[in-house]
Amino acid sequence: MEQKPIIQLKNVTVKYGDRTILDNVTTDIMPGEIFVIVGGSGCGKSVLLRQIIGLEQPAEGQVIIDGQDFGATTGEARRQILRKFGVMFQSNGLFASMTLAENIELVLEEYTHLNSSERDEVIEMNLRSVGLGGFRNFTPAEVSGGMRKRAALARAMALNPSILCFDEPSSGLDPVTAASLDKLIKNLNSVLGATMIVVTHDLESIMSISDRILMLDTKVKGILATGTAEELKNYTKDPNVFNFFNRIA
Amino acid sequence: MKKTSVPTETYYSTNLSSDLFRLTPLLPVSLENALGFDAATILKQVEPETKSLILDCRKMGSYDSYFVIFYAALEKFCLANNIQFSAEGVTVDMKEFLRLFGSKNDLKTEIKKQSFFVNYLNQIGNHTINILKDTRDFIEFIGELILKMLNLIVNPTQIRWRDFPLHFTKAGVNALPIVLLIVFLIGVISGYQGAALLSQVGAEIYIADAVGISITRELGPLMTAILIAGRSGSAFTAEIGTMKVSEEIDALNTMGFDHIKFLVLPRVFAVMIAMPILTLMADLAGILGGLLTAITALDLTITGYLNQLQSTLSYWDVFTGVGKSIFFGFLVAAVGCFRGLQVRGGAESVGKFTTTSVVTSILLIIIADAVFTFVFQTLGI
Repeated sequence: MEQKPIIQLKNVTVKYGDRTILDNVTTDIMPGEIFVIVGGSGCGKSVLLRQIIGLEQPAEGQVIIDGQDFGATTGEARRQILRKFGVMFQSNGLFASMTLAENIELVLEEYTHLNSSERDEVIEMNLRSVGLGGFRNFTPAEVSGGMRKRAALARAMALNPSILCFDEPSSGLDPVTAASLDKLIKNLNSVLGATMIVVTHDLESIMSISDRILMLDTKVKGILATGTAEELKNYTKDPNVFNFFNRIA
Repeated sequence: MKKTSVPTETYYSTNLSSDLFRLTPLLPVSLENALGFDAATILKQVEPETKSLILDCRKMGSYDSYFVIFYAALEKFCLANNIQFSAEGVTVDMKEFLRLFGSKNDLKTEIKKQSFFVNYLNQIGNHTINILKDTRDFIEFIGELILKMLNLIVNPTQIRWRDFPLHFTKAGVNALPIVLLIVFLIGVISGYQGAALLSQVGAEIYIADAVGISITRELGPLMTAILIAGRSGSAFTAEIGTMKVSEEIDALNTMGFDHIKFLVLPRVFAVMIAMPILTLMADLAGILGGLLTAITALDLTITGYLNQLQSTLSYWDVFTGVGKSIFFGFLVAAVGCFRGLQVRGGAESVGKFTTTSVVTSILLIIIADAVFTFVFQTLGI
C-alpha cells in the first residue's frame, strides 16, 4: 500500500513585510524518513522549518500535518498536532532557570498523567538515551554546548513524538561532537521510527544522515533541487547544486 | 581637504592621437596615489573627437581597491561619451580583483540623496507610524491579557502558580527595603517643605495633614510604582527578552504552552498582589518620615501628630492610593512582559527594550495617576 505523506507543504509562500523569503514551496515528507533541508545562509531553511512546526503562518499556502491543515486548527486540535512534534532549536531552547530533568518534566506534566516517580523514570531513561545519565540535576549553564544539544534532544523526545525537528544541530559544535550527534540522530531514527526533519548546511551531516534532501536557494526563493545525497552530489545538472555538494566556491 | 598640485607626469603618461587616447599608469593605482590618479583631471585631456580610450596596465605594478574605482570612472566616462574603452596588460589576478570588488549591476542599489528637511520629515513620519503600531500592539496585548485573566475565573489551574512565589518574592519582598527607605525620605523631605511654610502662619500641627494625605493618596503609590518599574519591570523585560533570544519561548510554543499563561500571568499577578502591600507599608514609612520632621523641626509631640493625622486621614485616602497601586502594578508588569516579548535579535535588543520598558512604564504610571486624580476630584472622593 502506498504510504501517505506525514507532512505536506502546498504552495507555501513566506513574506516578511514586502520581502518574499520563500515563494510557492511544495513538497511532501514521508513517515520515518530523515528529510534534510539544505541551502546557503539566508535561503530560508529555518524559516521553512518555522512554518512546519507552526511557529509562523505562511502568507499563502498550507502546511498539512497528518492530513490536517495546521494553520486552520485552533485550541485542543492544535495542541494535539503540536504534540506530534519534538523540536531541537539552534540555540537549544532549554529553560535556563531549570535543571535538565525539570526541562523534560515540564513537558511530561503538561501532556501526561504520570505520577512523580513515573516521570522520574521517563526523565532518566530519556537522559540516558542521549548519554546524559548522571546529569539530571545540572542546569543548562553547567554543561557543555554538546551536552545542551543532547539535553534538548532528550526533551524533544520526551513525548515520543512522531516528528523530530532539528534546526542546525551541529552549529557551534566541534566536528567530533557534531559527528556523534549525527550518529545519535541516525540511531534514534532507526530505533524510534520517527520522521526527522533536519535543517543544516553542514555537508558531512547531510551526507551521513539524510534519506532525502530538499535544497533551497536564495535566488529562486524556493526549491532548487530534491533528491538523495548521491543524486544531488553526483548526478545533478544544476551547477549550483553541484557546487554546493562538491564544495566548490 | 585642499588638493595639492601633483606632478602628473610621475604618475602616468598619456598619448593622444587623432581619435585615440592612451593612458599608461607609471605608479601603482592605489589609495596612496589617489591624488595623482584623479580620473576627472585625467579625463579633461580627452579630446571631443576621441573615439577610443586605452588603459595600459603594464607599467603600473601593484594596485588596490582604488584601481577598481579608477577603472569604473574611466569606463563610465567612455560609456557616457560614446568612446570605446579597453584595457591592456590586465593580468588574470587583476581581472579577478576587478570582478570581486567591481560594480555588480544586479546587486547595485540606487542611493537616493534626500535633503535634510525631507529626511527629517521622513524620520518624524516613521517614528509616528512606529508609535501608533506600538500602541496598537500594546492595546492588543492588554486585551489578550485581560481575557486570559478572566478565563482564570473558570479554570484557575491554567497558569503556572508554581512560579508565583518566586516572582512575588523578587518583586515584592526583595523590593521592600528600598521602597521603605525611599518613601520614608520622601516623607521627611515633604515634611520639611511643609514645615517651613506652616511655621510662618503658626499652623505647625497641619504638617500631619500635609504629609499624611500627600503620601497616602499620591506619593506612596506613585513612588512605589516607579521603583517597581525600575526594579521588576526592567527585570521582566530582560528575563523574557533573553528567553526570546535563546529560543526558549519558541520552545514553549512548539510544546503547546501558552507563553502568556506560562510567563506573563504569574508575573502580572505577583506584582498586582505585591503592590498594595508595598504601598501600605510605604504609606507607613512616609508618615513616619513626616513624624520625624514634626518632632525635630516643629517640636510637635508624637501624640499630637498622630491625633491630628487620625482626625484628618480618611479610609478613602488610603483606599484610593492602594487601589491605584493595584492598577499601577498591572501596568508595570504588563509593560515589562510586553517589551520582553518584543525583543528581536540579540543582546543589544534586550538592552534597548529594557530601557524602553522602564520609560514606558513610568510614562503610563504618570498618565494613569493624572487620570485617577481627575476622576477622584470630579467624583469628590
